Amino acid sequence: MALLEVRNLTTYYETKIGYNEALQGLSFDLEAGGILGLIGESGCGKSTAGFSMMNMIEYPGKIMDGEVILDGKDLIKMDRNELRKVLWKDIAMIPQSAMNALNPAYKVGKQILEAIKLHFPEMSQEEAVAKVEHLLNLVGIDAKWYHGYPHKLSGGMKQRIIIAMALSCDPKVIISDEATTGLDVLIEAQILALLKKIALDRGLGLIIISHDLNMVTAICNRIGIMYAGMLVELTTTENVLRNPKHPYTRALFSSQIDSKDFDKKVTSVDGVVPKLVNPEDKCRFYDRCNRKFEMCERKCPSLISISDNHRVACYLEGDNHE
Amino acid sequence: MKFIVGEDIVLMSSEEKAEVLEKHGLNKPVFEQYLNYIGSILKGDLGYSYRSQKPVTDIVSERLPWTLLLSITNIILSTIIGVAMGTWAAWNRGKKIDIVLNNIFVFFRSMPSFWIGMIFIAVFGARLGWFPIFGAQSVWAGYMGFEKIVDIAMHLIMPTITLVILSVSSIYLTMRYSMIDVLGEDYILMAKMKGLSDKKVRYTHAMRNALIPVVTIVMLNMGYMVGGATIIETVFSYPGMGRLLFEAVTNRDYPVIQGCFFMITICVIAANIIADFIYPLLDPRVV
Ligand SMILES: Nc1ncnc2c1ncn2[C@@H]1O[C@H](COP(=O)(O)OP(=O)(O)OP(=O)(O)O)[C@@H](O)[C@H]1O
Ligand code: SF4
Ligand SMILES: [Mg+2]
Repeated sequence: MALLEVRNLTTYYETKIGYNEALQGLSFDLEAGGILGLIGESGCGKSTAGFSMMNMIEYPGKIMDGEVILDGKDLIKMDRNELRKVLWKDIAMIPQSAMNALNPAYKVGKQILEAIKLHFPEMSQEEAVAKVEHLLNLVGIDAKWYHGYPHKLSGGMKQRIIIAMALSCDPKVIISDEATTGLDVLIEAQILALLKKIALDRGLGLIIISHDLNMVTAICNRIGIMYAGMLVELTTTENVLRNPKHPYTRALFSSQIDSKDFDKKVTSVDGVVPKLVNPEDKCRFYDRCNRKFEMCERKCPSLISISDNHRVACYLEGDNHE
Repeated sequence: MKFIVGEDIVLMSSEEKAEVLEKHGLNKPVFEQYLNYIGSILKGDLGYSYRSQKPVTDIVSERLPWTLLLSITNIILSTIIGVAMGTWAAWNRGKKIDIVLNNIFVFFRSMPSFWIGMIFIAVFGARLGWFPIFGAQSVWAGYMGFEKIVDIAMHLIMPTITLVILSVSSIYLTMRYSMIDVLGEDYILMAKMKGLSDKKVRYTHAMRNALIPVVTIVMLNMGYMVGGATIIETVFSYPGMGRLLFEAVTNRDYPVIQGCFFMITICVIAANIIADFIYPLLDPRVV
């Protein structure tokens, strides 16, 4: 059984003119030690997916459907009190806005300590403090910063503090939402190597949300490509690079533009992202697809298996022709 | 001169006039009068009342404790109520309880103070007879010890409630707004994701940051609160500085008026100094 099973996870945001269908039917499995990359352009629902997996969607957002099964328990069905015991202990997240995720009123060490004391009440104060100092060292921050206030830290340091915080309760799954964006290259490489090592050593499941194709292909063993709130292709890194199937993935990876810059590659695909508020029931990539045909306009294709470890949502692939 | 001491001077003979002017130093040039005034303040001398001839320092210091009692009780109660209700409303933003609280506090805000005071006197004082309606204590009863404290507290209740109704709204509104702001911060989401209880999130992570603007409002309002006390003290015949000021203005007793303003200024400055000590406790960014 997989460490984490996400099934048909669907999250909408309420707007004045209807629901914004920001995340539609996300499904995947994550094995222990597996590193899954989620990529897609801005606004495609990556962060929404991350928060939904934590069951931490707040108004005006609402999880409409789906399951997130961790250790046989469905996080989505849990009430707040059950969920509180699982959050951070079993599944932690480094949010995209990690720089603002530290409370300005408390010392950073205290904020990490707080999580440890909450989830390991039996641990002594000295042990817990020692653990915090160890974590700080792990992410390359001098233990003397334990007593520092957030406003004294640089943005990159704050990000690393949050990474330390995510590791603090030895969770089984960590979701990293652009955790290393903006860090300098050397530090980024160090942190990613660290996360990868921890994932492999401890059998941790890692979900890496990112814009950076090179980084994702370098570190992840599986990649999910998202487009307009949906997963359009989910397969091994190998397949994504050598044998991409979905027209969107192809555009991204076999694009002539040999740039590291994701946004440049995205704009090389003509057309605009469809509106997500009350979308039409057709392939969401329709307007930008250069291989579309009549069928694509009738109904939105779902993600189906075309071979072992390779799933695509496109009528050109597999037996997706109804 | 007429403007300063009023009609009486017209009736005086010129010798009497000269004597009065001499006594209060009013025959000297304005600048010298000012220097004299500053000089005597430094010696703790605020001059003499035109009316009662008693030293202003004595008059004011007799009244000051009552105003302090009233104002401090008011500030403590208003802050506690405003902060608690503001937090509650912000946490339940948009729900029924938030709407009800908002309406209550906006209603409080729009009521004229003397009117609330008069209603209180009419209903709870005169009609129901629950609370005394005059003064700060029943001097003639000669209470001692505990009875005296109860007596003072009983006299304090109605003016305090009136004052609280006056000052609580701005604290409530500030707290609610500031709390809503803080609750939208990323570190609050982080605190929730860590698995902290709602209570912990609200009181350890949100409250402390949300209180900062409230401290500012309370301190800025300090002068206003003492000003508000003027009307309330007058309505309830409470022997504080506010009432003293009212009496002094009616009597054109300038040294007393000056003395009152001087003390109010001192209070406001003291409040600001206290605020400067509180800020760093709440916000480590302020050193
Ligand atoms: N709190 C919110 N309220 C309303 N709509 C939201 C909210 N958060 C996200 N959305 C909408 O949901 C959609 C997906 O947003 P999301 O933040 O998940 O995208 P993303 O893939 O993380 O983008 P980025 O790469 O820019 O971080 C967008 O259309 C966005 O407008
Ligand atoms: S389903 Fe049709 S429109 Fe959608 S990606 Fe495939 S070919 Fe293009
Ligand atoms: Mg995002």
